[in-house]
Amino acid sequence: MGQESPQGVISKVSGRDDPRHRTLAWKRACHQCDLLLTRAHAPIGQRLSCPRCGATLHRNMDRSVAHTAALSLSGLLLFIPTATLPLLEFSLFSFGAENTLMNGVQALFAAGYIWLASIVLFCSVVAPLGKFLLLAFVSWGSAWSRMAKPVARALRWYHHLQEWGMLDVYMLGILVALVKMSDLGKMSVEPGLYCFVAMMVVSSAASVSFDAETIWARLARRAADNDTAENTEGTQ
Amino acid sequence: MNRPARALSQGFWTCLGCRLLVRAPRANSCLCPRCGARIHGRVESSIMLTWALVITGTLLLIPANVLPVMTVIYLGSGDPSTIVGGALELYHNGLWGIALIVFVASIAVPVMKLVGLVLLCLIVQRRWDVSPRQAMRVYRVVNAIGRWSLLDLFMISILVALVDMGAIAEVAAGAGSTAFATVVVVTMFAVRAFDPRLIWDVVEEKHIAEEKIAAAQVRGKENSHRENG
Repeated sequence: MGQESPQGVISKVSGRDDPRHRTLAWKRACHQCDLLLTRAHAPIGQRLSCPRCGATLHRNMDRSVAHTAALSLSGLLLFIPTATLPLLEFSLFSFGAENTLMNGVQALFAAGYIWLASIVLFCSVVAPLGKFLLLAFVSWGSAWSRMAKPVARALRWYHHLQEWGMLDVYMLGILVALVKMSDLGKMSVEPGLYCFVAMMVVSSAASVSFDAETIWARLARRAADNDTAENTEGTQ
Repeated sequence: MNRPARALSQGFWTCLGCRLLVRAPRANSCLCPRCGARIHGRVESSIMLTWALVITGTLLLIPANVLPVMTVIYLGSGDPSTIVGGALELYHNGLWGIALIVFVASIAVPVMKLVGLVLLCLIVQRRWDVSPRQAMRVYRVVNAIGRWSLLDLFMISILVALVDMGAIAEVAAGAGSTAFATVVVVTMFAVRAFDPRLIWDVVEEKHIAEEKIAAAQVRGKENSHRENG
């Protein structure tokens, strides 16, 4: 990424007469409209978007890896109180019941709605937790060239898991439940909900700060370092 | 010849997993050298897969809306309510803000998503004369709104756990909720299956056809000039 010297790029462009050389200048194609571009990455702190269809091709956040590492770790820590503390409490006359992240799934499972329970479990617990774990693994693991393969696999999983983490939708579901039942009995907010909101914010901040291209560049750099180290060892 | 360069016709593929540009091999597909995902020039049988999932989703939308999704039993009595019924009930209780949220998330969004996908499939298949930018706008909206339909299901799962006091008050899920959950999952996969680059392929094909016609006209004029002269 951006490692070529300016001369290198110019020399490629100057071989314009040969079509085979000219195609070397293409660096990226828009994933939504297939337009070829001569530039692959945005400068730090900026965004590269497709000139034809407007899709965001690359968002280069400043210090993406450090921020993602910190945010995913705090997300993992926040997950512990969110999953164990009650989120809401509902009381009617002298009866009371609490809602945690898991017992809604358990109740649905017990009632025989296995498919529904698994979707809710996946979108509200498994996918967000998986996202935090994968992001933490990717941002720390990419520091070692030995981890290149597992990190590549984790990035691929993250790509698939990304849209299934629905903490924000779950939050809106909590709000709707809160309002809907407030005329029936007394609804109260429990400490777990604050942790949940914090986890939701951290989760979206982590996905915004995360940039896969930075990780790929980091892996490529580590691999190159390794190669040169091995070569110098070989010559000595 | 100032057509924008399209990767596929220049012999390039893009990995959809990591967006690396790779040289298209002779084979039908290859593995991404960087992330290891399987790469095709375009998503394989994208339109057919999208149609299949859209039709599945549309059929499932019927039981999802006819069957009850939730029953609130209060002091031994309570009617099962459907998705529309739940939104209407909120509206009648004066909670029109929440009613609007529920209506948009669980009725408007699934229907809009299915209609949008049908439009996109038709635009690509029937080569409709629609501006590709408009089509992309439809695609982006469909892509962005999809996940919000699960709102109702999350609410049900919260209420089932929360309102569980035996004979006094109880919330039970209904069969419609399973169908509805499947609609949401199926339509999310349908959006994944649709390849927006096909929209631009149609545009390019039209351009090529126009250029050919223009070239033929020029040639025809030259020929008639020659014959006259």
